[in-house]
Amino acid sequence: MTDTIGIEGLDFGTLSTIDVRGTTIELFRAGSGAPLLFLHGLDGIDGAAAILAELARSYSVYAPSHPGFGGSDQREGITRVDDLGYFYLDLMDALALDAPVVVGAGFGGWLAKEILTKEPRRASSLVLVSPLGLVTAERREQYVADIFVMSRQELGKRLQLGEPGPLQNIMSMPEGPLRRAMRNDEAASLYGWTPYMCNPQLADRLHRISSPTLVLWGAEDAIIGPVYREKYAQALPQAQVESLVAAGHRAHGDQPQALAERISAFAGS
Amino acid sequence: MKIWQFSEQAYHPAFQAPGAMRVTLPQHLCDPREAGRLLNRYLDEYMLADELGINIMVNEHHAAATCMSTSCMTTLAILARQTQNVRLLALGIPLANRSNPLRVAEEIAMVDCLSGGRLELGLVKGAPYELFMSNRQPTGFMDRFWEAHDLILAALGNEGENFSWQGKHFHYRTVSMWPRPIQAPHPPIWMTASSATTARDYGKLGYTCATFLSGSVARQVFIGYREAFAAQFGHQPSLDRLAYLCVVACANDRTEAFKRAEAMRSYFTTAARCDPQFRNPWGFNSVDANVRTLLAGPAASRPRMRNGKPLPVDGTIEEYMNAGLMFVGTPDDVYEQLAAFHEETGGFGNLLMMGQAGELSHEDTVDNLTLIAKEVAPRLAELPDNPLEVRYEAVG
Repeated sequence: MTDTIGIEGLDFGTLSTIDVRGTTIELFRAGSGAPLLFLHGLDGIDGAAAILAELARSYSVYAPSHPGFGGSDQREGITRVDDLGYFYLDLMDALALDAPVVVGAGFGGWLAKEILTKEPRRASSLVLVSPLGLVTAERREQYVADIFVMSRQELGKRLQLGEPGPLQNIMSMPEGPLRRAMRNDEAASLYGWTPYMCNPQLADRLHRISSPTLVLWGAEDAIIGPVYREKYAQALPQAQVESLVAAGHRAHGDQPQALAERISAFAGS
Repeated sequence: MKIWQFSEQAYHPAFQAPGAMRVTLPQHLCDPREAGRLLNRYLDEYMLADELGINIMVNEHHAAATCMSTSCMTTLAILARQTQNVRLLALGIPLANRSNPLRVAEEIAMVDCLSGGRLELGLVKGAPYELFMSNRQPTGFMDRFWEAHDLILAALGNEGENFSWQGKHFHYRTVSMWPRPIQAPHPPIWMTASSATTARDYGKLGYTCATFLSGSVARQVFIGYREAFAAQFGHQPSLDRLAYLCVVACANDRTEAFKRAEAMRSYFTTAARCDPQFRNPWGFNSVDANVRTLLAGPAASRPRMRNGKPLPVDGTIEEYMNAGLMFVGTPDDVYEQLAAFHEETGGFGNLLMMGQAGELSHEDTVDNLTLIAKEVAPRLAELPDNPLEVRYEAVG
């Protein structure tokens, strides 16, 4: 079933919906080749258009909107990313994605770890781009900037190196994209308000991740600080860690081509 | 019409500080001894209201120089003992911002006992910017509100054995009110609305519905309430189920009254000083409401003046009067303005009066309250108790 909603920038593939145990999930598909599951960040699949276009050159890309984001239904009872991890195992079964390349950006990087700590063999390889999910603060010290207390202007500036795009200006959006942006914000609040953008239990589960793993940080990320990256390296010692030059937190927005090339080189295609 | 005295109990010396008055204002700008003097002064004014036969309303806010009452029930616990006669309204307890509704119920019961059954119980959502202090989850706010409401009412009115509560949001092994409230099954409930849609929810429940500083919107709110009440109960609500909150500045001559109004006007300008990112936390309002508000633009939610233009935050006294947010003048003027507004809105039985606001001094507040009690209240009490005009018109 093809949805009629057109999403700007996502004209190189198809947008459809699938039913996962009674919950309607929006799914963008593009390209051909080895399967790749792309887990979007707080900017939704709309904000990932550039990287999806690059990845579709080498992969058969599956990019669902997580429950509550974009055009996907919210599912009663799912209130944590831990819950989303279980839901995604059902979603992967429904799509017959046995062990795809899994790429997660920001919030999607957190979700990827929730999925793969539950069933480690479900990824052929894992690429985490500016991933959230580990404890973001210790008492008065914040390792990750609090997006919920920033003005929209400041957040827009800090999310990436480049200028904020039209998807970040809620004051002048037409109704369709605005509704999707407001749903994304609501979902961000549901999953990430408190404890802030993390699952405190996750660090102790990361040893279970067994697929080859690459962690990529935007060298100029203005959301996630160096202490957090260090803690990530400690919690996931099996991962290879690299920086992407000339990239901020939304590295997939700043450097889509370089990022896609690095993913292909790491995961094969 | 009954009158209620209300003050936000501002720490007005901080009004001179630049920037926001809420959330981000650093506490070192508060001189605690001055805060103590002011809080005692506002309590004195509430005690004067009791002597004058004016009912009392208190509220609460958090991390704000505009309101130092950080707990309705703490303030009312003092007034429950120090006043003798009048009703004591908490409007209200920000229910979904509270983590422990059983504790809320205990405080309600205790204040009702202390006051001899004079408590009126306002249960409100809470200000969105105060989620940054309570840190309660913004999503599912109203679901949590109604579960807390159900639990509190079950606790207050329980005549049977103690019970346990395993809800979606709240879990208690033993619910037991010692003491339990005097008013059975519970003190009268109040809620606040700024649209007919919300007012209908309260009309169905028969709760008292207040609307704050909403000007011409009050009429819509009251119509929505009356329609839903009549549909549910088969008769019109009496006007004591409806309330309007506004600023009242009264003096023996107009010049003096306008001077008082000017001192109170800083309530409006300081209440609005809050950085935009705190006004609407992500997930707090529904997606539909956010889309509607953003498409309509910022002016859409402002009260309107009679010419249809939005009331500017830094508007003049005359503009605030024009929009129905301030009532200013001699006792005759104030009575006439209020009687006219009463008629325009279809009538309401409770005037929630900010008889002190902003920087109005103690002496001026005393004179304001005294004049209103002696010269305005008796005439307002004569206004008809039944809806002046009941029209079933479609309201949004």
